[in-house]
Amino acid sequence: MTLAFDLLLALALLWSAWRTLAAPRLDRAIVLFIAFGLLMALAWARLAAPDIGLAEAAIGAGLTGALLLDAYGVLQRRRDRP
Amino acid sequence: MTSVFALAIALFLLVNLVVALLAAARGPTPADRMLMALLFGTTGTAVLVLLAAAGGGTPLVDVALVLALLAAIGGIAFAKRAWQGEEGGDA
Amino acid sequence: MLEWLSLALLAVGAFFFLAGTVGLLRFPDVYCRLHALAKADNLGLGFILLGLAVQADSLAAALKLLLIWPLVLAASAGVGFAIARRAHALGIAPWRKEAE
Repeated sequence: MTLAFDLLLALALLWSAWRTLAAPRLDRAIVLFIAFGLLMALAWARLAAPDIGLAEAAIGAGLTGALLLDAYGVLQRRRDRP
Repeated sequence: MTSVFALAIALFLLVNLVVALLAAARGPTPADRMLMALLFGTTGTAVLVLLAAAGGGTPLVDVALVLALLAAIGGIAFAKRAWQGEEGGDA
Repeated sequence: MLEWLSLALLAVGAFFFLAGTVGLLRFPDVYCRLHALAKADNLGLGFILLGLAVQADSLAAALKLLLIWPLVLAASAGVGFAIARRAHALGIAPWRKEAE
């Protein structure tokens, strides 16, 4: 069962990384990036490195996602009112 | 026996999460995709707590705590700053 | 006895997560989907944390597990309110049964 968990986690990680890079629109790429950060935190937890998982959950999934969303909003407002 | 069951539930939640990920990649509106990201946050928290019970140790509970709080920051940033309309437009 | 109670609570929590995911995939508009998401947030995570706290080693560990729940409750309520208010401000009409 551990093997199934790890395999599924690795597949989801690779798939979300590929989709993040290949996404045609910025907002989709940002949401997929947040999901990727979360899966990465789970992977670090499985690899018995909870400290790196903590950093990844805080920086990767939380703060960078919020900053990217904010930057996307600024870009949209600038395009609407040039 | 409980740790085996906790791992089974964690696997089930991971399957749930992958299904939601597949749906989020092709969601119809920006709000749907963001709600999927929020669901990831909660499900990821539950998976981390279950992994802690299945032999990962108590530090994983701290990771779950941080994840639960910071997923909400992403949702607030989306609602307050990023969501400009039903189908955003491609910036 | 305590072990069976813990297993039952974990199973109930997993069921609520399944219901939340299915609801998020199947419900027709943003407000309904927020409702489904709140079920997974509040009840699913609550039951799973309760099931693990029942069989925790010490009282401190159990309390730490149960501390996550009110934090998630507050965060989920705040995010749900913010997204619903923004959707209302953007003029997204709630779904009605006749307006297919």
